[in-house]
Amino acid sequence: MKGIIHCLGAVLRTKLAEQMAYRSHFILSVLLLVAGDLVVPFVTLLIYSSGASFPGWAMHEALLIQGVFALAKGIAFPFFFGMVGTTLHHVREGTFDLLLLRPRPVMLMAMLTGFDPDDFGRLFSGAVIFGFALSGMSQPVLGAWLQFGLLFIASIAILCAVSLFLSGMLFRWVGSSRVFDIFDAVTSFGMYPGTIFAKSLQNLLTYVLPVGLIAFVPASALLGRSGLEALWALVPVSLFLLLSVYYWNRMLRGYTSAGG
Amino acid sequence: MRRLAAIIQSIGFATYKEWAAFRSHMAASLLVGPVLFLVQVFIWSAMFEGRETINGLTYSQMLAYYGVATLIHYIAFDFADWNLQMLVRSGKFVTFALRPLPHWLFALSQKIGHRSLALWIEVLPVMALFIFVFGVNLKPASPFWAVISILLSFLMNFIVNYCVGLTAFWLVRAEGVRRVFLLLKDVSAGVFLPLSFFPEVLQKVLFFLPFQFITYLPTRVYIGDYELAGIRLSIEQAVGLQAAAVLLAGAVMLALYGAAMRRFTGVGV
Repeated sequence: MKGIIHCLGAVLRTKLAEQMAYRSHFILSVLLLVAGDLVVPFVTLLIYSSGASFPGWAMHEALLIQGVFALAKGIAFPFFFGMVGTTLHHVREGTFDLLLLRPRPVMLMAMLTGFDPDDFGRLFSGAVIFGFALSGMSQPVLGAWLQFGLLFIASIAILCAVSLFLSGMLFRWVGSSRVFDIFDAVTSFGMYPGTIFAKSLQNLLTYVLPVGLIAFVPASALLGRSGLEALWALVPVSLFLLLSVYYWNRMLRGYTSAGG
Repeated sequence: MRRLAAIIQSIGFATYKEWAAFRSHMAASLLVGPVLFLVQVFIWSAMFEGRETINGLTYSQMLAYYGVATLIHYIAFDFADWNLQMLVRSGKFVTFALRPLPHWLFALSQKIGHRSLALWIEVLPVMALFIFVFGVNLKPASPFWAVISILLSFLMNFIVNYCVGLTAFWLVRAEGVRRVFLLLKDVSAGVFLPLSFFPEVLQKVLFFLPFQFITYLPTRVYIGDYELAGIRLSIEQAVGLQAAAVLLAGAVMLALYGAAMRRFTGVGV
């Protein structure tokens, strides 16, 4: 654990120094991420302003889901999602071998190499949306906060698992940046109240492909809309994470480098 | 003129063949497009519960809007900005500066080849899915004007993106500017929501910006009804306005291109 923290510290210092060489680019990137995360809430705001709404969901409640989604990305993206870009780049360029040679687990090295400080900007946008949403509703009780805390950890675990699946896919599907589009498409289900989807799809999005757990389930817990039974959702999340680790390692074994 | 057509055809064909080797990347749209559309179906069917219209659009018109906007996005998709910035930053632009052909024409020919491939890998299959799986009415109100409008959108998207790419001649690393601009472009073009949902003041601003001509206007022309900022135009008037905007944007792009060429320095040029 100490070694991992040292590695992370070294990577953090290097990445920040790298970004400081192009400061205006770094600032613009952070601003872009903040603006990008505000697009969907902005659209929700415009829709509610036109008089339409998600049945049974007030505007602040709908925004809370999107705020939780942005917060989860603000934590998961800097640490995990960079490995997708790292794998894409290194496998295409034939330089992934450099990660294999390092004296640390390959998955850890792929995550550390992909560490991206820009993505912390998402935490800011997430906090703004989350704070705005909370300001428009009655304050949650302590129990709801505790349940939310547990489910929020699960939400980060799902994003980590999705990163592993997408990254693993790139060992075979060399150089395809479309994995980012696939991520956006699949996780877009998680940015809206799950109740708008058909019951069968809701179950699918909770227990099979648990993107509904990224934001909808934690936000529902905070709103007091779900009981302790929502914690059962932690089981499919754990399985999903284990499966993603297995999948990534399996795909890594199929990596042939330039040797055929 | 014939020589120019031959040049465009050969560059376009070479690009077509080059990208055909990576057709699975394009084919990802067969998953991405319908999945994003499915989310819109659920969102709007919930929103329209107990309502006939929202902002003057019926449920079927709303789905048609997103369906057509998705298809126009695939037809007019462009990465001239990214490509040009990469060429300038890496110094590879030198090889283009020495050629007896302006780079913008080369890039446009590449786009024609790239999107010709997308037509049968992305556009037509996704269109078939929208029609047969989602039951969306994608019959254009006026096929002739719809085609003209989509072609103009194709050009407008190229021009706007190429202008963004040209910023690389002035900025050391223009990636951040490019991404900010593209996000603003998508929001202002009506990719995420029809522009008629925006506040009145913003609609007036958006009416005079070039972005509505990329997605919003061609989509509304396709559906057969155009209105923005309280201005209602017939299909012919809307396409005429779009053509004028494309000409104006093209002139700006050529002026910027000239300025960029005067600024550019490289080995041998």
